[in-house]
Amino acid sequence: MTAISPGSRRRDMLAAWSMVAPALLVTGLFAFFPVVDSLWLSLHHIFVGIPSLGQDFVGFENYRALLNDPTARQAFLVTLGYVLLSTLFELLCGLGIALVIHEQFRGRGLVRAAILIPWAIPTVVASQLWRYIFNDQYGFANLLLFGDRIAEYVPWLAYPGFAFGAIVIADVWKTSSFAALLILAGLQVIADDLYEAALVDGATLWQRFRYITLPLLKPALLLALLFRTMDAFRVFDLVFVMTQGGPGDATQVLQFYGYQTLFTEGRLGYGSAVSVVVFLAILGISLVYIRAIGSALLERRHP
Amino acid sequence: MRRTNAQRRIVCRDLSGVALLSCLGWIFGLCSFLVCPTIALGSPRADASLERQVPITLRFVSWKPDHPRLWDEAIARFMQAYPHIKVVRELAPHSSTAYHDLLTQKLKNRDASVDIFFMDVIWVPEFAMAGWARPLDAEFGPAQREAFLAPTVAVGEHESHVYGVPSRIDAGLLYYRADLLSKYGFAPPVTWDELADQAETIVAAERGQNPTLRGYSAQFKQYEGLVCNMLEFIEGHGGSLLTRDGLRSRLSSSEALAATRFVRERIVGGLASRAALTYQETESLAVFLQGHAVFHRNWPYAWEVTNNRDRSKVPGLVGIAALPGFVHGRHAASLGGWLYGISAYSRHAREAWQFIDYLSTPAMQKWFALEGGIAPSRRALYDDPQVLAASPHLTNHLAVLQSATPRPRTAAYPAVSHLLQSYFSRALSLEHFDMTQEAAKTDAQIDRLLLLTKGRP
Repeated sequence: MTAISPGSRRRDMLAAWSMVAPALLVTGLFAFFPVVDSLWLSLHHIFVGIPSLGQDFVGFENYRALLNDPTARQAFLVTLGYVLLSTLFELLCGLGIALVIHEQFRGRGLVRAAILIPWAIPTVVASQLWRYIFNDQYGFANLLLFGDRIAEYVPWLAYPGFAFGAIVIADVWKTSSFAALLILAGLQVIADDLYEAALVDGATLWQRFRYITLPLLKPALLLALLFRTMDAFRVFDLVFVMTQGGPGDATQVLQFYGYQTLFTEGRLGYGSAVSVVVFLAILGISLVYIRAIGSALLERRHP
Repeated sequence: MRRTNAQRRIVCRDLSGVALLSCLGWIFGLCSFLVCPTIALGSPRADASLERQVPITLRFVSWKPDHPRLWDEAIARFMQAYPHIKVVRELAPHSSTAYHDLLTQKLKNRDASVDIFFMDVIWVPEFAMAGWARPLDAEFGPAQREAFLAPTVAVGEHESHVYGVPSRIDAGLLYYRADLLSKYGFAPPVTWDELADQAETIVAAERGQNPTLRGYSAQFKQYEGLVCNMLEFIEGHGGSLLTRDGLRSRLSSSEALAATRFVRERIVGGLASRAALTYQETESLAVFLQGHAVFHRNWPYAWEVTNNRDRSKVPGLVGIAALPGFVHGRHAASLGGWLYGISAYSRHAREAWQFIDYLSTPAMQKWFALEGGIAPSRRALYDDPQVLAASPHLTNHLAVLQSATPRPRTAAYPAVSHLLQSYFSRALSLEHFDMTQEAAKTDAQIDRLLLLTKGRP
């Protein structure tokens, strides 16, 4: 190997930077600038509808107000509950689906394609669909449960608990297949000879699942968890279409609250503070997951 | 074995790469949400020198209308009368709040591609203070305003300037099944207790034939309409949402608490199905049209629908009365309706005014009333024999329309409304709800918002 001269190294660096520059510029303009701008806005008191109030710099006042805002607290709790429940069920359903479509059987291609349909439907359409399903008069849920005993039909979305459950169910229905897809990719990497060896050793189906599939699937599971958690944290369209946050704030989530304060109320500072909180929460969650995924990968490289 | 390990490593590396990339993607997506309010949308710029030769294009941002054919024809007629002006309509969502969000987003960015818009009666202070709506003092002078119904003109004004020309008037009305009421020998109810008694008697007697019949159907979903419905109960009880000076919220006054309690205990899940907690106008009207409700609260537009044989199972069987109160002689109706406004950033204010003026002529308002059942804002049309014959529900209830109560008039109304919606929706839907304490908390929150607009010059 010949020594690299300082001149050519500098040339390489220059070339590298010039190639990275466009990407950096775009990222800076569309990712870094808005985040910083939102942070900056969140330190101000701005009421778009009342310009006479000025645009005072108020430091962390908006964040302090957020801590004492009962609606924000409710929205945070609802979002957290929603994230936990929906990701849990999505992962379980996704794992189940992935295990099924990983097997060899007739018409597997068709089943695989069919399973992706809910994920391919735009969320707004799916939300409208679920709103109809839970409708009190012509909803499918009532038809299924009560048939033509229409006097017993239940207005699902009128009960705070059911309404919350309804958005969780809609999300699980819609995105389990996405989790399944990621998990399926993980399943396909597991070598068949491991199972063959286990069979020779007399391992049961459960033991094969427990000691081969699950440990080797960990990175894929974590990845699915990461995607689903971040996505669930940003839930907006389901709530916007199905419940508008009601009844009684039972489905009020952070992103919808942020939308209301920013776009309807025109409180740029306060609404930005809500967005920044969501951003920081997602950032924190992803960092934890990425570390976990990293160590899971390391484990596998040095068993 | 070695090969599979190597393969696996590649896949792993890919996976972590994908993870990182997607993280960036998600952050990117989040940012696009964050950036929306801060990026100004570009607006097409009309070249001044071209304006003289090319016909002027007016952009009218409107909600999706209930009667699309009427509006198409009205615009076509205007363009025939003013051949040098072309009106392009941009349709926004039907819902008032969604329309507000879209329109204010354009106005925040000083978008010159908006010339004319509708303002809901609750938006005028906000649009005036933000400088979005053009004052129309010169065009819409005091003499002209006198021809319109007083409450519709009043909501278009803010601090001695006028910003909107009323296109129609809306007020809450009580629809009832005239056939059922006369079958049981009832006159239209004057108080809520009467309404409850009548409804309970009728529902019990009719249960055999109609097991899904309910006493009442109205709008109690967590949205703007909830505020209108609750305002009517509270005013009907002698209370009000705000103090007379508009500076303090009065949810914890005894009248407001009693009215809210009445709705919680007697209406939702009682006279009305609990499903009313998910109803806006359309859903609650559908219940009435199907013959599943004895009484129904709605705006004047519902009259035409209830008598439309294609859509209604009860045509010709419906009567209209003022909404009841809690004591004899006290009625309350929320004031609704839409005003035409001109954007402060419009480059064609003169032509925009010509358009509004044309749509507001007595002849056009009469046409809208006859063809679409839209309640005119011009006073004189209520004495017109043709309007009288086509819309008896309007002419007989002119007093209700004229005394309708506006919702709080403040530039912070969208924020005030969200607090009211949240409070009322919780009061009606939560199993455990400390109404006195929550009312006091909400009062304090609303008071702070009201102070914002009054606190500084």
